[in-house]
Amino acid sequence: MTPLLSFLNVSKRYPDGGRDILVLDRVSLEINAGVSAGVLGPRRSGKSTLLRLAAGIALPDSGIVSFEGRDVGQMAGSERGRLLRGAIAFMSASDWRATAGESVVDHVATSLGSEGLTMREARRRATRVLDRVEIGAAGAEEPTTSLSQTERARVMLARALARQPKLLVLDEPALLPSLGERDRFYALLRDAAQESDITLLMASEEMSALQGVGVLMSICDGEVISPQARGTVVPLHGGRRAGAERSWQ
Amino acid sequence: MASASPEKTRWMRGPSTPLRGALLGLLLERPGHGGDLANRLAARLGETWRVDTNDVYRLLEQLEKTGLAVSRDEPKRNNHRRTHLVYYPTEESSAALTLWMETLLPREPVRLGLQAKLSVAREEDAHRLLAALRAYERECLMLAQLVTPNDGRGRSWTALCLDCTRDAVYAQLEVEITWATRTRQRINEHLERSQ
Repeated sequence: MTPLLSFLNVSKRYPDGGRDILVLDRVSLEINAGVSAGVLGPRRSGKSTLLRLAAGIALPDSGIVSFEGRDVGQMAGSERGRLLRGAIAFMSASDWRATAGESVVDHVATSLGSEGLTMREARRRATRVLDRVEIGAAGAEEPTTSLSQTERARVMLARALARQPKLLVLDEPALLPSLGERDRFYALLRDAAQESDITLLMASEEMSALQGVGVLMSICDGEVISPQARGTVVPLHGGRRAGAERSWQ
Repeated sequence: MASASPEKTRWMRGPSTPLRGALLGLLLERPGHGGDLANRLAARLGETWRVDTNDVYRLLEQLEKTGLAVSRDEPKRNNHRRTHLVYYPTEESSAALTLWMETLLPREPVRLGLQAKLSVAREEDAHRLLAALRAYERECLMLAQLVTPNDGRGRSWTALCLDCTRDAVYAQLEVEITWATRTRQRINEHLERSQ
């Protein structure tokens, strides 16, 4: 079976002063459709880079990122753009943008612009998905500028879910002050993904934000570590430390 | 911390004190036979504790020896010809549980094996240490996967206590993983410098 997403010897560097920082060092992994995977790592550990590569927002310096068996790096920019507006959705709490005067339901409905829906159909789908994240009819008509942090996180989730992606990539989607509201957000996310057969790949600094994922990975110093779980995420050994791994066994 | 006589805290000494305390709490909630208490303990603490039924029987015997539980041979519910030991709390049990709740537990040693290896490692062992640290991280990640997730609906006191137990597991595993990744990073930096 072709994995939905795969990394093969993927490396990524960023310039830092006069030298390059190796953020990902020949990372190889596979994520099958329907799996939920979490990436745990401290700040600047490379988890956002991993997610941006997975979503096709960034391209690797070397190695291959494939989505449904196709090399994302070989796609034209327009095709990658279509992928990110269709089969892949990316959500990060820091990407919240509200337009003055726009209602919540319109905020979600306008994100469906490339789906070929009429505005009425888009609003209907937006209402349904807002209800799924427990924002009722009254809340849907509220202006986006009046939302609390928790509501914003849910609306962003609704916006991502409304496009019915195959892969939902989430970068620290809900660092909410209330622990109860945060738990509820992640429970809604897990349930929605399971119901709609969406593959999840999300990253956080906090393990509790990744609770319930099928496969939990950690990332640090350019390396991704995961318990072996065949058929779900299969991190393949590689990179500068492969020799060390073998010598221990 | 409560200042209690050594007599009253004797049952808290030795290994497995948290499990004995939790068993005492379960007994106070409802008497039960060993298997029932083992199941309830596993359900309450979660899979990561890896509660062993044989240990539960041993701990119940210890509680009985210290006067905090009493057992009676009673017929089984579904087979009256056969009997099993059912454990009950004693008059002392409630006060003992209260005291345990008030008592700071000693810090338990963590990742002792890895620390011991690090303490005597030679430079030539660096790659072995890295592999051991990765294996340890995988173990922590695997344990975290076993934790039943919170559905975010909990409103009862019991649900709140379960949330706190879950958080304790996550917090401990997170610290362990952070330590392991930082240690790997330090070793890698050293190796790169010495190349």
